[in-house]
Amino acid sequence: MDFLEEGVVSDTMAQSVRKSRSFWMMFAVCVLAATILFLIPAYIIRPFRYQSPRALVWAITIRQHAPFGSALAACITFLMAWVLWSRAARAGKALIVLGALLATGSAIMSRLNYFEWMFHPVRQPNFAPAGSTKLDSGEMVLALSFNNDARAYPVREMAYHHIVNDVVGGIPVAVTY
Amino acid sequence: MWKRTAAGRVLHFYLAGINNQNFLMRDRETGTWWQQISGKAILGPLKGAALELAPSDELSFGLWKRESPGGQVLAAVARDQKEYDSKWEAEVAKHPVVISFPGTELKSRDLVVGLELSGEARAYPVEAILKQSPIQDRVGGNPVLVLAGPDGKSVRAFASRLDGFEMEFFRKSASDDFLLVDSMGGSEWNFRGCAVSGSARGRCLHALPAIKDYWFDWRNYHPETTVYRR
Repeated sequence: MDFLEEGVVSDTMAQSVRKSRSFWMMFAVCVLAATILFLIPAYIIRPFRYQSPRALVWAITIRQHAPFGSALAACITFLMAWVLWSRAARAGKALIVLGALLATGSAIMSRLNYFEWMFHPVRQPNFAPAGSTKLDSGEMVLALSFNNDARAYPVREMAYHHIVNDVVGGIPVAVTY
Repeated sequence: MWKRTAAGRVLHFYLAGINNQNFLMRDRETGTWWQQISGKAILGPLKGAALELAPSDELSFGLWKRESPGGQVLAAVARDQKEYDSKWEAEVAKHPVVISFPGTELKSRDLVVGLELSGEARAYPVEAILKQSPIQDRVGGNPVLVLAGPDGKSVRAFASRLDGFEMEFFRKSASDDFLLVDSMGGSEWNFRGCAVSGSARGRCLHALPAIKDYWFDWRNYHPETTVYRR
């Protein structure tokens, strides 16, 4: 009888260890997934580096699904963190905090357009008449005209903003440089 | 420069990445990824779609103002003003190119004006245009006229044809103004491609969409391109 009970106890302990181990595994996989979803496209689509056509397709495919994927991964990470917290030792708790931070950070970064941190977009283009614009006559401009609506976009501004969404003579255009 | 209408929707584009030093944009409406230089949708719901080119010019402000005195100029965004002064293009040009085409006619960072007509792509080194304007050439079997402006900076291209007849142009010498004369009616033509005197007065040549680009970028997107040489 004693023997039997001991067996049951060690069985449940083994089960709990196994369960705990799979929670940890799940935790690690989700942290890794969230991080990868953010880092791979960020790594591939970086300036001054060659992008092969296949790598580019991979990068933007991942980037496209990263907001949802990394949010899901972060949620499961938190769920696992919650389950694991009480049974984790001090080092384990530190790992949980680190993992949760990584997953959260990645989920946030996947939703942010860091290219627009570097080059601020023009939210609402404003214009001034040609006559009152103080621009050197030798400065280059991109010029566009539809239905007698003539517009100039100074290259020095466009080389920074790169894109201006505008409507010229009733026609929606994307001015790009 | 693109008309931002595709699949019957007006799109709003934003900067979303970079691909071999040419930027990628996405539209807020569908999240599709587009290549700036080609106007083509490379991934996403509108994949395969292409934007329509909006004919545009790269001119010096002085010249543009003379041609469009009633025009409007994009105002600087106050908080970004100091960024404009840091000369991004010059900074970028200092970096090595990530794709190059050794053994081709030009150097990676040579500036070209690219034309595409009847399936043929042809690149005109800006340096050659400034020296040799007016350039009369053929692209895809069509007669073209490539011009440098009176400011010695601006470049335009035209279909060198009026009422189905091919035209030939010469630079009018001994003239302060920038004018060309044609071999047929002796009309004078300005940098807008319009006749200002003679029998063709008031008529204009058809302007061709021309893209100013670095050689490596143009060559990358137009692998079959030829290069104008004289």
